[in-house]
Amino acid sequence: MYLAGERRWRKTGWVLLFLAPSLAGLILFTLGPILASLGLTLFQWDLIRPLEFVGLDNFREIFASGEFWSALSHTLYFVIGYIPLVMLLALGVALLLNQRVRGLALYRTAFFIPVVSSWVVISLLGKWAFNPRYGLVNYALGLVGVQGPNWLFSSRWAMPAIILTSVWKDIGFVMVMFLAGLQSIPHEYREASALDGAQAWNHFRWITLPLLSPTTFFALIISLIASFQVFDQVWIMSETGTKSATTVLVQQIVQNAFSYGRMGTAAALSWVLFAFIFAITLVQLRLQRRWVAYD
Amino acid sequence: MKTRRFITVLLAALLLLAFVPAFRAQAQTTTITYFTFSAAPDHLKDLDLMIADFKKANAGIDVKVQTAPFADYFTLLQTDLNGGAGPDVFELNYENFVTYAAKNVLLDLSSQTAQDKTWDAKAYYGRALEIFQQKGKQYGLPESFSTVVLLYNKALFDAAKIDYPKADWTWQDAIAAAKKLTDKSKGVWGLYSPVQFYEFFKKAAQGDCKFFNDAQTESLLNSPECVTVLNTMLSFTKEGVMPTPADLGGVKDDELFKSGKLAMWVNGIWQFSAMKDAPFAWDIQLEPGITRKAHHFFANAVAVNANSKNAQAAYTWARFFTSSPAAAKTRVAASWELPALTDKTLVADYLKVTPPANRQAVFDALNSVIPIPVIERQSEMQDKVTAALDKAVSGEFTPQQALEQAKKDVDALLKK
Amino acid sequence: MTSHAQTLSTAQDIHAPRVRLWRAALYLTLTALAGVMLVPFIWMVSTSLTQDQYVLSATPSLIPNPATLGSYQKLLDLLNIGGMFVNSLFVAVLTTAGQVLTSSMAAYAFARMRWRGRDVVFALYLITLMVPAQVTIVPLFILMRLFGWVNTYQALILPGLFSAFGTFLLRQAFLTIPREIEEAAFIDGASHWTIFRRVVLPLVKPGLATLTVFSFMGSWNAYLWPLFVARQDSMLTLPVGLARLHGQYLTQWNLVMAGAVISIIPILIVYLFAQRAFVRGIALSGLKG
Repeated sequence: MYLAGERRWRKTGWVLLFLAPSLAGLILFTLGPILASLGLTLFQWDLIRPLEFVGLDNFREIFASGEFWSALSHTLYFVIGYIPLVMLLALGVALLLNQRVRGLALYRTAFFIPVVSSWVVISLLGKWAFNPRYGLVNYALGLVGVQGPNWLFSSRWAMPAIILTSVWKDIGFVMVMFLAGLQSIPHEYREASALDGAQAWNHFRWITLPLLSPTTFFALIISLIASFQVFDQVWIMSETGTKSATTVLVQQIVQNAFSYGRMGTAAALSWVLFAFIFAITLVQLRLQRRWVAYD
Repeated sequence: MKTRRFITVLLAALLLLAFVPAFRAQAQTTTITYFTFSAAPDHLKDLDLMIADFKKANAGIDVKVQTAPFADYFTLLQTDLNGGAGPDVFELNYENFVTYAAKNVLLDLSSQTAQDKTWDAKAYYGRALEIFQQKGKQYGLPESFSTVVLLYNKALFDAAKIDYPKADWTWQDAIAAAKKLTDKSKGVWGLYSPVQFYEFFKKAAQGDCKFFNDAQTESLLNSPECVTVLNTMLSFTKEGVMPTPADLGGVKDDELFKSGKLAMWVNGIWQFSAMKDAPFAWDIQLEPGITRKAHHFFANAVAVNANSKNAQAAYTWARFFTSSPAAAKTRVAASWELPALTDKTLVADYLKVTPPANRQAVFDALNSVIPIPVIERQSEMQDKVTAALDKAVSGEFTPQQALEQAKKDVDALLKK
Repeated sequence: MTSHAQTLSTAQDIHAPRVRLWRAALYLTLTALAGVMLVPFIWMVSTSLTQDQYVLSATPSLIPNPATLGSYQKLLDLLNIGGMFVNSLFVAVLTTAGQVLTSSMAAYAFARMRWRGRDVVFALYLITLMVPAQVTIVPLFILMRLFGWVNTYQALILPGLFSAFGTFLLRQAFLTIPREIEEAAFIDGASHWTIFRRVVLPLVKPGLATLTVFSFMGSWNAYLWPLFVARQDSMLTLPVGLARLHGQYLTQWNLVMAGAVISIIPILIVYLFAQRAFVRGIALSGLKG
């Protein structure tokens, strides 16, 4: 009987049926353009005049420019500030919400409203909230006797403001993933959550966390990939004076492609960025075997 | 059988006949597309009026409008023009004109104007027509021009009992007045003229600081005159008469002026309609100078796509839009910048509208205009200069260092 | 198992007062956190209802006084909000349906079928997530031009009908289902499609609900792509239309916030509906477990 099942597994026809729509779209609308942009890295093009072959000049130019390295450092600053904050806070909230809370739907909705809003809306809101004079944040800080900094107008506090806004927006997103993961954990494991202190921690550490690991892995990878590509909120929230403290890599790409008409440079920059993201994801995938528990 | 066949043929013929007028009408109407940034969102109705007038005078041509916000306009235009496609007529400002002319996508209008019996070059303001030429060929028709002047809040001047700004003021005069007008406890500031690219090159002209050498092979931004100019600009905040961005706290300068908290504001004539309902009396004056006066000359033009399949119709629209009396009148009435025409009656209409009362200053400013320094890699140059200026504002660089950096960066862009 | 459960319930009784304290702290924390999430939005709505002259004030207030619908009126005058709304809705619904369908099918192939090159192809999916989207826009636009799809609904919808992210998400979800369930069905002679539809898919309702919300959201809020590809006024989607206010009216915060409120409401509705399926799915899986 098992043999019959095995043969089923391998029937290529079935694979194609399930895979084809998605793969076809991927190849045509994503992979194709991506390969085109890979080719573009060896040229310079403004979309109108003919392509001009420049070989590896684009890459040489990028690595020699101060802007690239500062954009890279700003991007890394964002990633390192954002990822731990959003993952830990989201996990914490998910754990809280998983306690058979009454009104779960309401709480979850509260956390999710920032998630469904567009980055444009959230960035504008953030820009306004972090306004040193009229904004909510400094007003709230003032209520507890703290003088808030100049946030987006200060080279030191501009990126933190952007990070905080991003965390605020995305907490619900990651939390929902954790919550779905927690709630897929079979019922009998969850009963034990009513235990007291020490046992609860052990239960969390040795049962919940491992069972949650596929979700954690997914959330971590998606968040890492997305945070390296941060753009919208930085672009909208940065103020003229502090732009040099916050410009990120995708911003550089967009500038070169859309403002300067240097598509070759833009393509080269995106492939450098891709290399970073790829390396990090590879590391994650390798580590996956160590800490992610699949069935 | 025969009758049925006969009836079928008759019906078919009748049907065909019904379509023939439609075919003929279709063949007669040429549709051209016009892409613009200045029309939306405030002037779409005015543009529609002009198109209606145009169609009355030119039966058989229809104009389809496409709009985009300025921030996205040139990106979209670039992608549109890719592969020889794109709108038949499109708007360009002067900075981008040079870039697009270099891409060979602009139709040389000389052949069109030669054939056009109504063509009169003198109808256009000479300077405006000139800057949209290259190597003697006309690539764009100037649509409008605007300039930047000094707007001032008369009520604040009255309250401080000082004289209104005069036409021959220098920046030292302005700063002195601003000091008396600034009252930080009330959140009132004396002056606003920020350190940014457009303001910088204008003040540079006021202070004999040259952007490029004559051959445009090298930038001269690190000269002592330029350092003086930058220092003058930085002195506004240093003397405490101009708010820093942090002081403004996200409030824009136009809001500051409109709420009566800014005494002197360097900004464009396009603010006239926005400030029409300001709850205080205000007027304009020439901008103060350093060793001489200099004012901006911003001009927009419309160009015809070199690959347009309807070049004749496109040209006709461009011509109408930029120089017909009907279109010009609509434009003036709507305060949609100024038509670049020499017709004195239009000027008279413009002068009649108040506020401000001293609209003559706008035309006086034209005696001391400087065009924008433009190179092929324009966007990059503007960004690089702005970045260097930012470093001077933040104190990270001294003015000298900032200008050295700017010179280095611009020189790199001049190499091709 | 039963004796274990009994032990647990007695443990609960002993600690009843502690449990109550813990529950109180729990609700307090959650409410405070929810407050942090919600207050800016209340402020957003309140700003949208504020009159022009009161928008900029040193003390932000949550209740506008006097309140006015003026900003919404102005928005309606300046832009064709209704048409843009319909466009956005049409595109978002089709895109979401497509994404959920194609992603779940592909995820099944990756998680539940063994075939040569499977991991390589999956890696390919992951790789596309790592390339910044902005860079594919121009080549993709040129492709649309080749097909003649510029300024058509095809261009707005077709490229969005599949999602590498969705495939990844659902693959992880499928992987958590125990194999025994399917193997039993196989032995009974069910085909892949039946198992997919009847057995596996219902078990990942939370995942599906999540993807539905994210897909809808992604499509609804998309700006850069529709900007390039939907130029005619009749084809504008909401974000592109609202962004037209950006430069000039940027700091008319009440106007900007009114636009923001209009953008958010539909997705909230979608979320609220998906949430129900969410909850139902969770309850069902609880029973099965």
